[in-house]
Formats: sequence, structure tokens, C-alpha cells
Amino acid sequence: MLSPRQMSRLLIAGTKEQMGAVIAELYRHRLFHIEDFVGQEEYSGFRLGMPLEGATEASNDLITIRAATNAFGIQGDGTPRGRPISAAELRRQIQTELPGLDAQADELVTRRTRLETRAKDLETRIAEIEPFAALGIDLDLYRGYESIAVLAGHIPADVAIAAPHEKVFSSGKRGGFIAVFTPVTERDAVERQLLDAGFVAARIPDETGSPADAIARYRAELESIGKEIEGINRQLANLKEIHASFLLAADELLTAEVEQAEAPLRFAVTDLAFVAEGWVPTSEVPTVREALERVTNGRIHIEELEVDYDHEVVPVEYNNPSFAHPTELFMDVYSRPNYREIDPTLLVSIVFPIFFGIILGDVGYGLVLLALSFLARRFFGSEGWTLLLDNLRNASVSSIIFGLVYSEFFGFALPWRPLVFSRHLNIGGEAHGHGPDAASMLIIAIWIGILHITLGRVISIVNHSRMSHGSHRTKAIIAQTGWLAFMWGLLIVIWSIFPIPFMPDLTKLGGVVALGLGPAGIAGIVLILYGVIAIAQENALEVVELPTIVSHVLSYARLVAVGLSSVAIAMVVNYIALGMFINPSLENLTPVGIVLIVVGIVVLLFGHVLNTALGILGGGLHSIRLHYVEFFTKFYKGGGLKYHPFGMKRLYTTEE
Amino acid sequence: MVDVGTAVMTVEMIQASQVGLKAVGAGLAVGLTGVGTGLAEMGIGAAAVGATAENRDMFGLALIFTVIPETIVIFGLVVALLLLF
Repeated sequence: MLSPRQMSRLLIAGTKEQMGAVIAELYRHRLFHIEDFVGQEEYSGFRLGMPLEGATEASNDLITIRAATNAFGIQGDGTPRGRPISAAELRRQIQTELPGLDAQADELVTRRTRLETRAKDLETRIAEIEPFAALGIDLDLYRGYESIAVLAGHIPADVAIAAPHEKVFSSGKRGGFIAVFTPVTERDAVERQLLDAGFVAARIPDETGSPADAIARYRAELESIGKEIEGINRQLANLKEIHASFLLAADELLTAEVEQAEAPLRFAVTDLAFVAEGWVPTSEVPTVREALERVTNGRIHIEELEVDYDHEVVPVEYNNPSFAHPTELFMDVYSRPNYREIDPTLLVSIVFPIFFGIILGDVGYGLVLLALSFLARRFFGSEGWTLLLDNLRNASVSSIIFGLVYSEFFGFALPWRPLVFSRHLNIGGEAHGHGPDAASMLIIAIWIGILHITLGRVISIVNHSRMSHGSHRTKAIIAQTGWLAFMWGLLIVIWSIFPIPFMPDLTKLGGVVALGLGPAGIAGIVLILYGVIAIAQENALEVVELPTIVSHVLSYARLVAVGLSSVAIAMVVNYIALGMFINPSLENLTPVGIVLIVVGIVVLLFGHVLNTALGILGGGLHSIRLHYVEFFTKFYKGGGLKYHPFGMKRLYTTEE
Repeated sequence: MVDVGTAVMTVEMIQASQVGLKAVGAGLAVGLTGVGTGLAEMGIGAAAVGATAENRDMFGLALIFTVIPETIVIFGLVVALLLLF
């Protein structure tokens, strides 16, 4: 539960003839986490293995399949389509269908590319001719003169030219277009005058006949190309429809083949034998052993090796009850636990939803988020999203429960008084009782912080006693007790000076002993001094971290503060929408009143959508942050290696 | 003779202005700590976005780094709540 799955280190040795069968069997069981052979000292005389036969062919086929998959735009979303296909049948299909399919896809895509290039070309031509259409002169008249120069281009406005010339001008929305015919001798003078007026020359199109005709001709061609491309896309879509499951299945089969064929690259081999080292969950060792002995008729050597925890990196696989499974996502975001430390996933999976509920305790928002956590599954099917949405579901259930306790529904009160503490604010003059019990709730939040941090320090003591050695172990444990002593000592001193509601009142305990403090205060001072010494004996620099004790405990006040701000936003939205727009208009219905009611509804919807988004951010981020920053820093090391067993989850194919 | 320069303050007026000043204090507490948090998150956020752009896996950690200074504004919020209620 609180620690990862127990792992055993296996050494598998056999003759090379058996290597293929052993690899296939290991792949099928998906339990063996291969430790790569990197030429360790104890393996002198061994070398890296070579890929199995057929690796190259399988890789080539895989590339062809991926190319076709890309051409068809197929995306495997991780959900099986129809019945999984058997490997033998699929292999036959790959031999017969793949070459034709690939050629077909290739041909269609090439044709589409060619058509698209032609369409672009036509579009440029049309854009070139279009301005000439407004001038109304046939396109062959712009070319082919010996004594006359033609200047055509865009110009902001018509211009008077002081030289012999003939011109046509048309004005459009974005400036005019001008064509000037002038004797070759005058060309420079005319061009200068035009440039001064902001002339930008345009290329004279290489066409004949009326510009309008040319444009119409090209438009028609464009249209037919568009239809042709559409047809090709339809063909591709049809092919995709027909072959998608085949391609995905073939991809899966060949990926599996390539992975198996390349596995020897991670083994140590000699001319006749191979050795593979790796990790298997201890409970599964008999399964692996039996399976391998069966396929090799017992002619294989399997040995469980001693594990040297200080020098070997043990892969880590979570071992949690199913309800804590989604929380593993949060753990992986931070860092996977180390093999020998306490895995706090279970604690996080319990405390995180509670924190979320304390912050966003509202039946309305809880129901919205619950619905969202189920609806969003349709659009986000990947494994990570599913886990995230599972977390959201758990959190929103907790939010609903706390909403019942707080008596809140979208910021409105439910028909009963809050069961423990009230978070109802006095907004809009509609006083509900005496306002929120902010101070009491803040003190409870501080209590949660004190206990949570104490738990973290206790776990740290357990971790150090498991993982550290010799004198360092003793020192580290004493330092952890020092942190605890300092925190509780400080608390006792405060309690002996100020009476605080919901906290022990030590002010009346005994008389004044010394320094104006009672016996409890003196005990607190002693604890603080012990704490400082205990921390300093491990590492004197750690003493500068002492103020974080105060800031980390006070940081838990966010549980109440963020929650109250969310309630405030909800109530303000309700007051603006109902109190200021809708209710006054309903009393005296006029046309303007109806508009105001619509405005009120928009404000209501917009405000609550915004507050829901803020609620997810506030409730989720602050809860997880309390874990990451305040809780984990007390004990959590992380940095574990993810358990990645050799094998694959088959979705589209069945085993042979 | 009428004393023009002296305004008379009643107890109610003093109480009302005290409530007002409390609200001003609460506003300052949230506002100024908000500015502080914003300044702190400015640098972290820019670096976090950069790191995430380089490596998608950094997202979780980057988010955590970005919200660390949030504590400052939370303290402001707590002070404001204590002032008001």
C-alpha cells in the first residue's frame, strides 16, 4: 500500500537458438523490465547482441505503413476498432494488400499535390490580370511595340503627366490602377513623374484577348481542379474508412516485431549464449519462470539475484488500491517515488479531494464539475486525461459533500443553516446571520496544516530509518525530531501567552516561572532550543530554514481564504444579476425591463462560468500545491525509475 | 457668535469612519500583496513558459514553480479577512 510493488532482479541465460523464443515469451507476458547491457565489468568476454532475423524487413514495412497512415490522416486514439485481428491473418494481408495500398495512397497524394500547385499558379495569374480587367483594353495591346513604351501599375490617384502620352486609369477601393503608353524616348521622364506620385509597377501578363475572358477561363479551370481535389480527398477518406483498422493493426504488429527483433541489442551475448538481466515484480517471478521453462523445455538458467539497493536503480511500479490509482498522475508530475521510500500516493488520494472540497464546497459547482468530468471523457480519451478526469470526479464529489455542510448552491444558501461553519457573506445588504466564521475557520485550517506537516515529518523519520546508513541515519532522524520539536515548542509558547479559540489554552497553567512565562511556556522554550540544536547537528545551514516552519503552517490558511474569495465572487455575481437587473425588472415588466433581464441572465451565466474555471484552478492548484510544496518537501525524495516492462498492450491484434 | 470652523463629530460618525478605514486596510492588504505576487510570478512565469516550450514534460513542475509566490497574496487575503470579520 504505502510502498511500491516489490521487485526481483532476474538473470536469464540460455543458448542463442532459444533467444527468439525467450524474447517472444517475455514480450507476451509484459513483465520483464530489461536492464540494458552496457559492458559491465563482470561480463568480460560478452558483447552486445545483433538484431534477430527479419528486423530490417519489418522496419521497412513499418515505414511504408506509417507513410500510408500519414497520407490517410489516420490517428490511433487508443480505442480498438472492431474485432482484434489474428497475427497470422494480418501477416498475410500485409503481404498481399500493403504494396497495392501504398502505391494507391502514394499516387493519390502525388496527384493532389500536383493539382494544388496548379491551383496556386492559377490564383496568382488571376490576381495579376484582375487590375487590367478594369482598364478594358485587350491584353495583347500592351505588348509588341517598337517605339512605344508601356508602363502599368498601381497608383494612389490619377496623375497629370507633363510629356506626350496616352493613359487609362481606373480607381478602385484600394487605390487606382494606371496604364501609360508613351514614346520610348519619353519613358524615363514619364516613369519619374509616376514614381513621384507613388506608382508601383505591375507585371504585364503574358496573355492575349480580353482580360475578363482570361479570368473567366482560369476561374473555370480552378473550379474543376477544386472538384478534382475534392474527389481525391473523398477517395482518400474512403480508403481510410476501409483500411484504417488494417493499418493500425499492421502498425501494431510490426512495431511489436521490430521491438522483439531489436531486443538482443540490450542483451549480453557470446558466440553461443545470451544473458539478459532485468526486473520482474516478485509476485510474478514464478509465472515468468514457468513460461520460459515451458518454451525452452527447461533448458534455460533463471536466477534471482541479490539486490544491492545502494548501487542499483530498481524500477518502481505503483501498488495502490484502485481508488488511489488516478492520483499516481500527480505523483508522476512531481516525481516517481524512490523504490525504498514511503509512497504517499494513498495519502494524497485521500487528502487532495478533502482540500478541494474545503476550498470549493458548493453543491452547484460540484455538480457542474462532476458532469464535466464525465462529458470531457468523450473528447479526451488518452490515458493521462482519463486519470486527470478521475481526479476531477473524486474532487467534485468531495465538493458536493462540503457544499451540503456549508449549505451553498452557486453562492445561494440551501434551505438549512451551515452545519459547522458559515461561509455566507453579507453582500447586497441581505444579511444571512452574522457573516462568515472567518477567524474560526482560519484556525481550523492552521490545525490542518500543523497535523499535515507533522505527518510529513513522521514519514521522513521512517524514510531515514529505512534508507540511510550508520551515523548519518541517527543524525538525520534526530534532525527530523528537531523540526517537530521546534514547531510544537513554538506552538506551546504561543498557547501559553495568548488564549486562542479551538486551541489549548495554557495561559492559566501554573504561575510565572521565569522570563514572564509559565511552566508551559518554559517547556516550549526547551523544545525550541532542543529543536535548534538537533537541526544544527546535522547541518548548521539548515537553521536559516527555520522561518519556513511558520510560513508553511500559515500557508494552509489558503484553504479558507481562497474558498471565501470564491464564495464572494459567486454571491457578488448573484447580487448583480438578480438584485440589480432581474428582480427590479420583474416587479414592473416593461420592454426595457426585458432587455435588463436578458443582461442579468448573461451576467449570471458569465459570472458563474468564470467562477467555475477559477474554482478548478483555485481548488485544484492550491490543494496540489499544499502537497507539493508544504507536504512533500518534508520527506519526499522521488527520482524513481519508471517500471517499463518489455512488451505492449495489444489493441488491434491478437497473439499468435 | 457661531463657531464656523469646528465640525462636530458624533460617536456614530467615528464608528462609521473606523469601519471604512478597516475596509481600506483590507483592500490595501489584498492589493499590495497581489502586486507583490504578480512581480514575483512575472519572472518565474516567463521562465516556466520557456522551459515548457523546450520540454513538454516540464509543464507540471513549471506550474508548481509559478504558483509558489501565490502564498504572498494568500497572506494578504487572510489579513483582509481578519480585518473585515
